Amino acid sequence: MSPGLVAAILVGGFVALILLRIPVSFALGLACIPILLIDERLTPVVLITEMWKSYNAFILLAVPFFLLAANLMNSAGITQRLVNLAQASVGHLPGGLGHVNVTVSMLFAGISGSSTADAAGIGALLIPAMKKEGYDSSFTVAITACSSVMGVIIPPSIIMIVWGGLMSVSIGGLFLAGIVPGVLINLILMGATLAYAKARNYPVGRRATFREFLVALGQASFALVTPAIIVGGIVFGLFTPTEASVIAVIYSLFLGGLIYRSIGLKEIPKVLYESARLSAISLFCIGTASAFGWSLAYFRVPQALVDVLAALHAGPVITGFLIALAFLIVGMFIDAIPAIIVLGTVLLPLAENAGMHPIHFAIIGVISLAFGLVTPPYGLCLLIAASLGKIKVVDALKDVGIILLPMLGLLVLVIVVPELVLFLPRWIAPHFL
Amino acid sequence: MKILIEQYYRFLKIALTALMGLMIIPVTLQILSRHTGIIPRYIWTEEVARFCFIWIIMIGSMIAVRDGTHFDLDLLPHPKSPRQRGIYRLIVHFGMTLMALFFIRYGFVFAKSGYMQTSEMSGINMLWIYVSFPLAGMTWILFLSERIMYDLELISETESDEPEGPEESGESS
Repeated sequence: MSPGLVAAILVGGFVALILLRIPVSFALGLACIPILLIDERLTPVVLITEMWKSYNAFILLAVPFFLLAANLMNSAGITQRLVNLAQASVGHLPGGLGHVNVTVSMLFAGISGSSTADAAGIGALLIPAMKKEGYDSSFTVAITACSSVMGVIIPPSIIMIVWGGLMSVSIGGLFLAGIVPGVLINLILMGATLAYAKARNYPVGRRATFREFLVALGQASFALVTPAIIVGGIVFGLFTPTEASVIAVIYSLFLGGLIYRSIGLKEIPKVLYESARLSAISLFCIGTASAFGWSLAYFRVPQALVDVLAALHAGPVITGFLIALAFLIVGMFIDAIPAIIVLGTVLLPLAENAGMHPIHFAIIGVISLAFGLVTPPYGLCLLIAASLGKIKVVDALKDVGIILLPMLGLLVLVIVVPELVLFLPRWIAPHFL
Repeated sequence: MKILIEQYYRFLKIALTALMGLMIIPVTLQILSRHTGIIPRYIWTEEVARFCFIWIIMIGSMIAVRDGTHFDLDLLPHPKSPRQRGIYRLIVHFGMTLMALFFIRYGFVFAKSGYMQTSEMSGINMLWIYVSFPLAGMTWILFLSERIMYDLELISETESDEPEGPEESGESS
């Protein structure tokens, strides 16, 4: 079978099945079955052995552990402490709670690797508070959702761990590369909040005294040490990402159980179950996505794509835009992790061919996929924020669009200026490059 | 039958919770042995954690079939009448059943190959891990049959009296 025919059967079958509302994980597996049954060289068991191989990776254990750590921090009230600290630092700016929302997302992103835990934890605390102070529901939901994307861009990041594990890129290097774009998104979002506050006359909070700031800082200090332990531990080679994720779990249990005494023994099974359930759903999809990606690769579809695009003589910048576009579109429809497996592995030879640095390629992919978390039809962070704000997703779309526009500007900047993401790893840990 | 399915579902939930808690232990041992030296360096820790992990994924996939929480896309217009809704759902559940049958048929082949192998570090017979695949297929069928019964009820009911049953709510992490 030719690469074109195989791609048509696989991609066509997958699209038809998801249009029928077959779950994405099942659709990816079902789409492979005709190919596996038709081709004489293949045995259908390949679907299962490929799934098995993808699950049998120690690095992926970091996914449920980082989710568990984030959920424990939400249950332990650590998020509330971060809110208090943000309130004392930026609450006095015009549109105070909006800035608090954005700043807490950045702090939370440094502790957790999951954007959905970010949207759920912070949204539950701040969306009701913002609405009470007279912020429009649509802006409240939009800023909560858009700021939560920092969760996967600022280290630690579940998406980066999967990317690094799958495509053999240094995870420490990816973590360092995510810091600058993450902080820039924070600044962009604070700028957007300021503009909204001026245009819509949002309230200004009281300026905290220096003493209040110190108290809030003290109360959040244990939580603020987490990024140093996790990210530092991985970057300086003390732990593997999986070990770091378990340390994050143990540290959250230690804070919630012993230091703050805010989490009881009774709550733990519930948090364990919810974290396992949620990560299993997306991890199951990794298996079938791997089988799908394997089938594409077996029939040399990625190579055919590279040949077509190589004829166009596209340089790294044009290739960068094509990659971002592909991830943005796919990220609108499927979860980030299967998108990395299906698309990342297809596009990797293309990026290599254009002479892009693997870390640069990865960060373009991660940022584009992070935007997919707030774009319909499947933007999980937007869905979570809208349900917490008790509004329809459609009603928040205009504000999401306005806020996303400058963020897309950042993506363009990252594509055009690779040094923006590469200089930090080059400076701190040149061996990662 | 319904009670048995409910009990099995509860057992799976407990197993999922326990495995998640259990999985923390080997990785913690690994960190402790490497950084503190207070316990010997076990070589089985990584492998046992991975095996717990695979069971977590497969059990999670079973639970999500009953809950209807495997992530799906909502692109086409929603069906208006219960009858149409029943037909839509029946198509989805039929597709999932095909996958389940595939998993049973080829999962057994896979599990049989596991019986011949033992794991490298811990010496566990691989059947114990590989069997999670055909088991997932069988459990999906069990939970899907429950859903298909409800779909058929929906299709046969008139507009006014819609039966109560499980709802779809696609989600993912």
